[in-house]
Amino acid sequence: MTAISRRSLLGGAAGAAALTAFSSAMSEAVARAASDLRVYVLVVDGCRPDEAVGAYLPTVRSLAAQGTSFTAARSVTVAETIPNHVAMMSGVWPARSGVPANSVWDPALGEVRDLGLATDLLVPTVLDRLTGELGLATASVLSKDYLFGVFGTRATYRWTPEPMLPVTDHAPDVFTMDALVRVIDDHDPALVFANLGDVDRFGHADLSGSSLRLLRTLALIDTDAQLARFVAHLRWRGLWERSVVILLADHSMDWSLPLSLVNLASRLDDDAFLAGRCQIAQNGGADLLYWTGPPDERAAAVERMRSIALATPGVLSVHDPAGLNLGANAGDLVVYCKAGWRFTDPTVISNPVPGNHGHPATEPIPLVVSGGHPLVRRGVVSSAPARTLDVAPTVASLFGLQAPSGGWDGVPLSPAFAGVPA
Amino acid sequence: MEQTFDRRSVLRAGAATAGVVLGATALPTTSATADEPVFAHGVASGDPLPDAVLLWTRVTPTPDATPGSGVGPTVDVTWEVAADPAFAAVVASGAQTTGPGRDHTVKADATGLNPATTYYYRFRLDGAVSATGTTRTAPALTAAVARLRFGVVSCSNVPAGHFAAYRYLAERGDLDAVLHLGDYIYEYAGDFNDSVVRPHDPPREILTLADYRRRHAQYKSDEHLKRLHATVPFIATWDDHEVANDAWSGGAENHQPDTEGDYAARKAVAHQAYFEWMPVRNEADRIYRRLRFGLLAELSMLDLRSYRSRQVGIGDGGTDDPNRTLTGAEQMAWLENGLITSGAQWKLVGNSVMVAPLQLPPLSPELLGPLAELLGLPEEGISLNPDQWDGYAVDRRRLLATLANHGVRDTVFLTGDIHSSWANDVPRDAGLYPLLSKSVATEFVCTSVTSDNFDEILGVPPRTTSIVLETAVQALNRHIKYCELDSHGASVLEVTPAGTQMDWYYLANKADPASTLTWGRSFRTRAGTQRVQSVGTPIAP
Repeated sequence: MTAISRRSLLGGAAGAAALTAFSSAMSEAVARAASDLRVYVLVVDGCRPDEAVGAYLPTVRSLAAQGTSFTAARSVTVAETIPNHVAMMSGVWPARSGVPANSVWDPALGEVRDLGLATDLLVPTVLDRLTGELGLATASVLSKDYLFGVFGTRATYRWTPEPMLPVTDHAPDVFTMDALVRVIDDHDPALVFANLGDVDRFGHADLSGSSLRLLRTLALIDTDAQLARFVAHLRWRGLWERSVVILLADHSMDWSLPLSLVNLASRLDDDAFLAGRCQIAQNGGADLLYWTGPPDERAAAVERMRSIALATPGVLSVHDPAGLNLGANAGDLVVYCKAGWRFTDPTVISNPVPGNHGHPATEPIPLVVSGGHPLVRRGVVSSAPARTLDVAPTVASLFGLQAPSGGWDGVPLSPAFAGVPA
Repeated sequence: MEQTFDRRSVLRAGAATAGVVLGATALPTTSATADEPVFAHGVASGDPLPDAVLLWTRVTPTPDATPGSGVGPTVDVTWEVAADPAFAAVVASGAQTTGPGRDHTVKADATGLNPATTYYYRFRLDGAVSATGTTRTAPALTAAVARLRFGVVSCSNVPAGHFAAYRYLAERGDLDAVLHLGDYIYEYAGDFNDSVVRPHDPPREILTLADYRRRHAQYKSDEHLKRLHATVPFIATWDDHEVANDAWSGGAENHQPDTEGDYAARKAVAHQAYFEWMPVRNEADRIYRRLRFGLLAELSMLDLRSYRSRQVGIGDGGTDDPNRTLTGAEQMAWLENGLITSGAQWKLVGNSVMVAPLQLPPLSPELLGPLAELLGLPEEGISLNPDQWDGYAVDRRRLLATLANHGVRDTVFLTGDIHSSWANDVPRDAGLYPLLSKSVATEFVCTSVTSDNFDEILGVPPRTTSIVLETAVQALNRHIKYCELDSHGASVLEVTPAGTQMDWYYLANKADPASTLTWGRSFRTRAGTQRVQSVGTPIAP
């Protein structure tokens, strides 16, 4: 498999050779189907459903009009970037994928870290399975380092995000779209998974997020222009009629005022029993709480943490991670904040950004299935429940890929297609 | 100083604001007479489920078994449901015993039906056969539903006019159900504006079980209402006038214990008559309930009278008292849980009183709370009508916060009560809307079928003085996008995955039983937006 930077995309011979090598493994039927089908999963990171139908995203609205919109779509909790991108490509709950949040407490390292390592993702994804099982080329074009990291070498072609903006720590959409167009031109992968980070990153930083959303609006306008460029390129390349475009967000966005902060660490430290014996992985709108003391004191500690959290202004609710399908590395408790609030842990200056997600208020997302492929149903609006983890079963269904060991947790987005098996 | 306040005084306050003198309009009266055949009160259906629907009728087995009389034999009434109007294919049937103990009413739950299916039903008593009613079951729980259409009505007062609006809905032929949001009957002796088109029966304020039964019987004798009931299932909740004006859990503005007795006893008989005469599913005295229409919509019908604390007066700070409630704790928890966990896209809330703030001025608690406290004003400003959610600010804040906190979208409140037409965004904080506080739901308020509103109470021609107040209301309440205070009629709500649209149809003359209705205005809520938007054309019938 081939890692591609902008530089490597300029010379795609090696990738083309790799695709040719894999092609021999394809069955005739699948090869014929695959030769007709291209699937592009485009993530407008952090986009809100109301923005998707608003004035600043005409291309999204146009794609919706040419396809199927899922009006009840939601992200999986925790409504963060990494777990939802993983859900899209794996089709399973975080409890199985191993990726429940952006940040977790790593007991081996003794620190909170992002789940941005390839070894963090424990299950196959359609990026690697399409290649390994059907011999189809795939590509990932992801604007954030930790996404590039967590998906590792799973895609046949991978773009190293650059240049990275110093404050937002992501590659601007114009460069991401450059890479996306280039990988299509150079390698024409069957599946491309792309993340456009501007809307999220400028949303996080938008100090007018609670009111005018000035930065955010500029980002929306620019991202829409990039999407228009993408659609135009597919048409120009003659790929549109063979394309299924799944356009969605990984999570939404909520803005808080400067005084609407939740700092749980200080409250836990103020408790004599808990002090120094618990950790918090802060995820914007959600805190993951970990008991690091003796195991035989865990039950009492968890109840104490729960009680303290529930008594904290701005806290919405406290949950057992297992009840949220999050798995062991989500810790002992998941704490959500209310809309208009944010967590800032361990200190009150740890999270200065006004735009946050991770709490239930940020779970609603836009999700559109479009494209020129004859399978795509046009002008449909569906009330069917949909989640980010439905993307992988949909991709698999389109390409004829079987469910993974243990089955899918998501379901194919069948209302969007005419004649695609569920 | 405590100040009593009711709907009439809201409108009168508005009139005073506008500098207009109140006046009564004399309208011609008609007498209401009816034969008493066996099925004189028609047939009805209600509360459709995917596999069941309630069927209703009332029999008069002997001439003396009149409504409220308490006399007459106990009889067995049979019913049958068929897939065709000729009853060639009967799919369900049954029998029910009724008698004077339930005022000879019949309520049968026809089960084992197919979802999203039109059925025909009728009753038999001895040799008599009722008119044939048409009903329709709800879609299956997980069905993808492309469209629903509901008639939306409230505030139908016999003395105030004829129910031509019901006739209009019956004639449309495209409705899945009719939502009646309360004030299905009125308890007054006459009209509260002293202009009586048709006299009430009994000709007095109703107080006893016999009174309430007779009053329900009079309404069910109205030809327009009978026709609508026989055409489409109803989904109804009560507001105040099913018992008495401005009712609360322990009393009502229009109940004087010194002369009218114990309020609890009055409420009990009013509720008994309601349950006898209405095709609603109730568990004991509980009427709030939820109905599901596939993946497209879920309808929570509220009871905002039985559990509420007593209304406060204008300017009282009591609207912010956390010990006061509109819904009651149990109903609020039920509502919140339903909204959060709903498996349907659209969360429709059948809501008898307006949820959107109506304030002059629209203050916000964060910015002006301290000033309000100094002045002894409620934190959210001076409410025009504390009988609405405005008077119960703590409950409203909790409910709207729940919508925001849990990312609940596509919630639409469907409201009656105030005899006028409104389309509202529902922001968490009206004072900061739209810049700093976003809308978390929308609200469509239907006007009255006949009950008097602004122009009639003022005694001025419609669309004259009212326009001044409508303009002021919208200027001062930026979340209110439509406000029309004069017209009567019915609304039609269309629900699709892409949006909901409410069309208001207005009566030409409510004193004329043959009055036409014409389209007045339409607003929609597009999916995911939580905002209302004017639409230039009504939905196609």
